[in-house]
Amino acid sequence: MNQLLDLRPVVPAAIVALTGVVVLLAQAFTPRGERAPSVALSLAGLLGALVSVLLLASGPARGAVLAGALAADGLALFLQAVILVVAMLSVLLSPGYLQSSGIERGEHYALLLFSVVGMLGLVSSLELVSMFVALEIMSVALYGLAGFDRTRPESQESALKYFVTGSFASAFLLYGIALVYGVTGSTSLERVTRALGVAGPDALPLAVLGTALLLVGFGFKVASVPFHMWTPDVYEGAPTTVTAFMSAGVKAAAFGALLRVFDAGLVSLAGHWQPLVAALAIVTMLVGNFAALAQTSLKRLLAYSSIAHAGYLMSALVAPPALAVEAILFYLVAYAAVNLGAFGAIAALARDGREPLSAADLAGLSERRPLLAAALSVFLVSLTGIPVTAGFVGKFYLFGAAVAGGWVALALVGVLTSVVSAYYYLRIVVAMYMEAPLGEDRFGRVPPAAALALTLSVMTTLAFGIWPAPVLSLARFAGRSLL
Amino acid sequence: MPHIPHLVSLLVALPLAGALVVALTPRAAETLAKRVGLGVSFATFLASLQLVSGFKDVAGYQFEERLAWIPSWGISYHVGVDGLSLWLVILTTFLTPLCLLGSWSQIHSRVREFVLFMLLLEAGMIGVFVALDLFLFYVFWEAMLIPMYFLIGIWGHERRIYAAVKFFLYTFAGSVLMLVAFLVLYRASGAWTFDIPALVVSPVAPALQTWLFLGCAVAFAIKVPMFPFHTWLPDAHVEAPTAGSVILAGVLLKMGGYGFLRLAIPLFPDAAQRLAPLVAVLAVVGIVYGALVSLVQPDLKKLVAYSSVSHLGFVMLGIAALSTIGVTGAVYQMLNHGISTGALFFLVGMLYDRRHTRLISEFGGLRQAMPWYFALFLLISLSSIAVPGTNGFVGEFLILLGAWGFSPRLVAFASLGVILAAAYVLWMVKRVFYGELKNPKNQGLPDLSPREVAVLLPLVALAILMGVLSPLFTRRIEPAADALVRQVHQHTLKAPAVAPGSTPAGEASR
Repeated sequence: MNQLLDLRPVVPAAIVALTGVVVLLAQAFTPRGERAPSVALSLAGLLGALVSVLLLASGPARGAVLAGALAADGLALFLQAVILVVAMLSVLLSPGYLQSSGIERGEHYALLLFSVVGMLGLVSSLELVSMFVALEIMSVALYGLAGFDRTRPESQESALKYFVTGSFASAFLLYGIALVYGVTGSTSLERVTRALGVAGPDALPLAVLGTALLLVGFGFKVASVPFHMWTPDVYEGAPTTVTAFMSAGVKAAAFGALLRVFDAGLVSLAGHWQPLVAALAIVTMLVGNFAALAQTSLKRLLAYSSIAHAGYLMSALVAPPALAVEAILFYLVAYAAVNLGAFGAIAALARDGREPLSAADLAGLSERRPLLAAALSVFLVSLTGIPVTAGFVGKFYLFGAAVAGGWVALALVGVLTSVVSAYYYLRIVVAMYMEAPLGEDRFGRVPPAAALALTLSVMTTLAFGIWPAPVLSLARFAGRSLL
Repeated sequence: MPHIPHLVSLLVALPLAGALVVALTPRAAETLAKRVGLGVSFATFLASLQLVSGFKDVAGYQFEERLAWIPSWGISYHVGVDGLSLWLVILTTFLTPLCLLGSWSQIHSRVREFVLFMLLLEAGMIGVFVALDLFLFYVFWEAMLIPMYFLIGIWGHERRIYAAVKFFLYTFAGSVLMLVAFLVLYRASGAWTFDIPALVVSPVAPALQTWLFLGCAVAFAIKVPMFPFHTWLPDAHVEAPTAGSVILAGVLLKMGGYGFLRLAIPLFPDAAQRLAPLVAVLAVVGIVYGALVSLVQPDLKKLVAYSSVSHLGFVMLGIAALSTIGVTGAVYQMLNHGISTGALFFLVGMLYDRRHTRLISEFGGLRQAMPWYFALFLLISLSSIAVPGTNGFVGEFLILLGAWGFSPRLVAFASLGVILAAAYVLWMVKRVFYGELKNPKNQGLPDLSPREVAVLLPLVALAILMGVLSPLFTRRIEPAADALVRQVHQHTLKAPAVAPGSTPAGEASR
């Protein structure tokens, strides 16, 4: 118990939270007409947090602190690093886009930082109530971000929809937590595991019901079918850079928590929840991909694609925990880089509040913005899961894990729906490379900060596609903290 | 003889490095990009000849290189060549510079990107033929789709986008099933490796083999393409630019047959034997069907495209026979088809450049306007219909001989394809070149330019050389083919259909 007051695992989140407050204050004390140094402050804070994560990772392993609520274990540190990098890239993407939409205010960065605090907490919580609190911190900030472009009705709709469905999901999650507590007498994952190990058969129905409700709650957050209805509207309505951040960051944080709850806390019930997860994964892959086929709006298309990818990720959950963690962690890295890039590329074209809305708007982009078109193509190829991108290695591992768990059917559905996805991803490439530009060039030049972020995303996508071994061994190492 | 170290890796790396250089050239410097492309691909060809000179005529892999890649899953960068892949690598390095030279003044827009994609494609194709690790094989197999997709979609003809997307989706759909088969094999084999030679040693249970074989076979059958998976081919071939068609027919289709020989058959020997009759029947259906459809094509390029279905049917028949002679013939026929059909696509493309049409009915009497063109066209046509003295004869003869022990009845039907081939090719030659030069647009068509002759002459020379001196080539193929056949037959009590031994390749050509 001598670690009771060891606050070091909380340091990264604390740095980010503090930075958020400083950004708000800086905005308040900046005279009208001048621009507050929000971007620089946010980047500095996030970088500081990242350094502290790396320092924690290089030190000895730290167990549960704050009465067993938080830990800086391998899984937490791995995902915290991912989330912080995602946040930094999002910050880099933001200023150009916000300027073009006329909404460049410090609050944007503060909200982003606060939601990062929630995400960091979410992946390091060892206890269900802390997890819930972290989830709410993340979500509330995101509701604000989704509605940040408050003059646009779509943005308002996005925020409201996200808020209502998000609260709904939270209620499920809470109810699930309550039931698990009822059965096991604790909300600490460690004690839940122990109690479930010795629980009699009469406790089983309640425990399974609780697990199912938790799955519903998380299903909302990761946008799994049938709890995905909010995703297209929210992704489409929110400012594009916010969508980029949401799609990459929330997925990483929510899947981190999902792994911890299901592959550690509820692992003794695996026989009960695995078929459920498998069914959800299949439906999610099918609905996500086939619905995406019918989309004309780029952002809606990417929203459905993000639903489909939730399905791919879930299909690895049925594997033996060690494999599941390794595959999911790697895929989260690959997916974060690629999705940030894809949304970021769209946002980078924004000018005077106008951005490409459909594939037709991108016609002939390879002639007008050859580098941006090439970058977006790399992201789309990676989303399809074709070598030599990280998306391919990621899918290889996800489906490899599903096969290892004895679910060949899941892998088959996964790869076949990937073929479906090739059609709609390629449609964008067709527009960019094989169609002539329509009319005059209405879109902006790529801002330098965004160009940097996109370059980093492309490099990550290709580097981890060609040489994935280092990330994979880190992921495997991180996964050991769960088992 | 001293040899270049890491020769196989170098063959993959050279075009990649060339692509990088091309990407860095200024946009306006189109000639520079073309020169770099041609120079690099020619250097790659010269380097690849070192493979031939250093190759020993024995079974087993040579020029092997191995490097741990993803150790936790037993994935390694493992490359090498044997008799099955040697000549296919050479074919690739041989055709690529010709394609770049052939499209020197045919590609006008985005020249730099064109050269870039051609070099990337070359690296991917060589990679497929030298990969000895399932993961590595799959990486090259899939990665190669992207440049081909762009080549068809950007520089193709009217319906290029449709053809590009169709090509991509068909091949991708096949490949992903193969990927699942690989993953299941990895789990089931218990060897915890993706290394092909290591997996071949310990096949999985026969019941599982059938499924895995089918999973891989779909991928390869689409690529070959075997009837009934061939419907993407006419679209892709017809819409692709000339260089794309040449590479598609010359090299990409070979990957299907090669996949059977390198992966599907040795990894799943029991299933391969059990399903060989099915493959053989589909192959023969393809032979006859492809030939019949070719007979009625009004479009020259479509005719050549459908004739590929027929020719590749022969290849598959030789493979399905699972005899040393049949497999040797199949590999040899793959090379022949690469050369003769590649040359035919060049020839059709040159005609299209002059007249902007490929309809046979638009031509007639071209013999008078373009005598040199006619001479080379005729020689290649003869090679395509397997007239003795040309390469096609040796290949088809070996295949039919090798398949005889498997099923004389199928050989009889396949021979029908030989006759039909003569019919559709000669009839086409008659309609295009003989008769009166009536169409005024065809009068005064310029004959072959020196550049075009430079593209065609190596192909024609090789077609004849391979017809006369076939042992030069087959003696390198045979040991590997023999080893494959022995390995497959080891796993069953059945005696080999045809006793493995020396092929009468020499006699056949003399």
